Amino acid sequence: MFRFQLSLMKLPVYAVAHLCKTDMDDQGCPRCKTTKYRNPSLKLMVNVCGHTLCENCVEMLFVRGSGNCVQCDTPLRKSNFRVQLFEDPTVDKEVEIRKKVLKIYNKRDFDFPSLREYNDYLEQVEDIVYNLTNNIDVENTKLRMEQYQRDNKDLIQRNKAKLTREQEELEELLLLEQQGNEQRRLEALQEEQRQLNAKRKNKQALLDELEQSQLPATILLAQHKARAAQLETQIDQQKQTVKPTNLFSTGIHMRQTVSLQTVPRIEEVLYHYHPLHIETYGPQVPELEQLSRFGYLNHVRAAMPQDTAGGYTSALACHRAIQDAFSGLFPQKG
Amino acid sequence: MFHNSSQRKYWIFRSEEELEQMRRKANQKFRNKLLESGKSGVRESMFLERHEEDMLFRYYERRLLDLCNAFKPAMPKSVVGTAIMYFRRFYLNNSIMEYHPRIIMLTCAYLSCKVDEFNVSSAQFVGNLLQETPAGQERVLEQILEYELLLIQQLNFHLVVHNPYRPMEGLLIDLKTRYPALESPESLRKNVDDFLTQAAMTDAGLLFPPSQIALTAILNSASRAGLSMESYLTESLSLKEDKETLLKMYDSMRRMKALLNQYELPKAEEVNVYKQKLERIHAEFTTSSTKRKRGYEEDGHVAKEPRLAEEEWTDEDLL
Repeated sequence: MFRFQLSLMKLPVYAVAHLCKTDMDDQGCPRCKTTKYRNPSLKLMVNVCGHTLCENCVEMLFVRGSGNCVQCDTPLRKSNFRVQLFEDPTVDKEVEIRKKVLKIYNKRDFDFPSLREYNDYLEQVEDIVYNLTNNIDVENTKLRMEQYQRDNKDLIQRNKAKLTREQEELEELLLLEQQGNEQRRLEALQEEQRQLNAKRKNKQALLDELEQSQLPATILLAQHKARAAQLETQIDQQKQTVKPTNLFSTGIHMRQTVSLQTVPRIEEVLYHYHPLHIETYGPQVPELEQLSRFGYLNHVRAAMPQDTAGGYTSALACHRAIQDAFSGLFPQKG
Repeated sequence: MFHNSSQRKYWIFRSEEELEQMRRKANQKFRNKLLESGKSGVRESMFLERHEEDMLFRYYERRLLDLCNAFKPAMPKSVVGTAIMYFRRFYLNNSIMEYHPRIIMLTCAYLSCKVDEFNVSSAQFVGNLLQETPAGQERVLEQILEYELLLIQQLNFHLVVHNPYRPMEGLLIDLKTRYPALESPESLRKNVDDFLTQAAMTDAGLLFPPSQIALTAILNSASRAGLSMESYLTESLSLKEDKETLLKMYDSMRRMKALLNQYELPKAEEVNVYKQKLERIHAEFTTSSTKRKRGYEEDGHVAKEPRLAEEEWTDEDLL
């Protein structure tokens, strides 16, 4: 499944690359010589053999439902004509063939014991698709496919069933999500309506009071303002109180115990670091830092100031001499 | 470091016999090659025997040492040591009848200057061949460059040589620091140097790690000065418990001293006789080098100047 998606994703890139190369008027029906340039509404169709015809010619030539390809004489059915999606009709052909091949070659990575074998299998599939697309060794390739289909009948069936099941689950999930979205939208709409009503009522009340009340207008206005502010805060509060959700975005209900046992545990020996050990076949050499403490440096020439500029210290030369002196000093045992 | 070097892995051999066997094999290989080539005038009596070969080898090795010591600017000891080690390694698998030691020794010195970062230009290098005319020096240089790659290949591309000189310095520092019983380690230095120079002229470098050679040199010169340093081994190097290692080290030291004692200077009159033999073999049968040169010229790689004649230079010219 995953592999299939990948290959589909790759195709438009190919098609785009093609588009850059060809001009508009290159695209046309080989039979009636109409081009896209002259007739922008031209609809090109393609069939299994990968040769193009425009819609009108298809209607004319395949009135009886079947006939031969103008260019390669392959027997074709009218119902198999598709609208050409890609500029290069062979891409359309390949997509068609790939769909067909993948219906049979529907194994997935967990059907294989190792990644290597899965990759070999994928390569085999690519080979078949390529051969069929480019008319290389078609007979043998078809035989191979049939052989494979016979050999793996059960597995193919099983995988097909699995695929449709997964597809259904996916669709169900999508439906649920859509429903949720719709409901949320409706709720938001209702809420807005309510608020609008409240505001309108408030305004109406102000007008009524101004008409009937004996109090001065300024007081009434102040009262109205206070009420309006209260209303606003109420609305704000409502907005803030979000309804508690009981669903995770993955569709799992909250507070539901999810069994974690199915996740396979990988038992591996962890990498263990061993410090590097070099056999020097001689006595232990003191570390560079220890040389001065042990008094080794009293017996070597001190470094000149100009030598130290490059990072040289007398300890380096001393250390090297001692290392050389001790390396391989003891005869090998045995 | 020596302990993970190619020297320890490939160029330290088990015994003196093994080395002798390898040299014998190289000698035999050359004989077979010449006998099988079917050239006329090949006789068994023409070939150098192993001991004759050995004598000549020692003669040329001494010449190499003299050249290095007379070299201007003065050559550091490690460069000399490396050159001699190259020379020894080369003739472990090759016979001097096949490649003339005269040119190989120069190539060894030239290569060791490069490898040990003793920076002399090639012109400067051949400028040290005082007996040569400038044209002759040019010719020698050309030959050196020709043999350089062969030498590197025969050394199996193991170019780093660990000499006993730095280990010797390290041991002296260690003695001064940890072994106050020895009053003036510096007084030993002259004898130690002599020992190491002599050791370079033996197979010691092909049998023992450089640190062992340095230690032997120090212990040897100490005992000649009437000092015993056994406690340095037992206490400072903490070998008191490890009797096996201690015994083995004494054994190595004995073998090393025996090697030095066995060494004898090549005798001038014998050398002259063998040298004539060697020259004859080279003049008559080993034309490979000139052939190779001609091949170059035909390909147009080397077209400096037409060689005046195949004027062979003798090694009397060198020094």
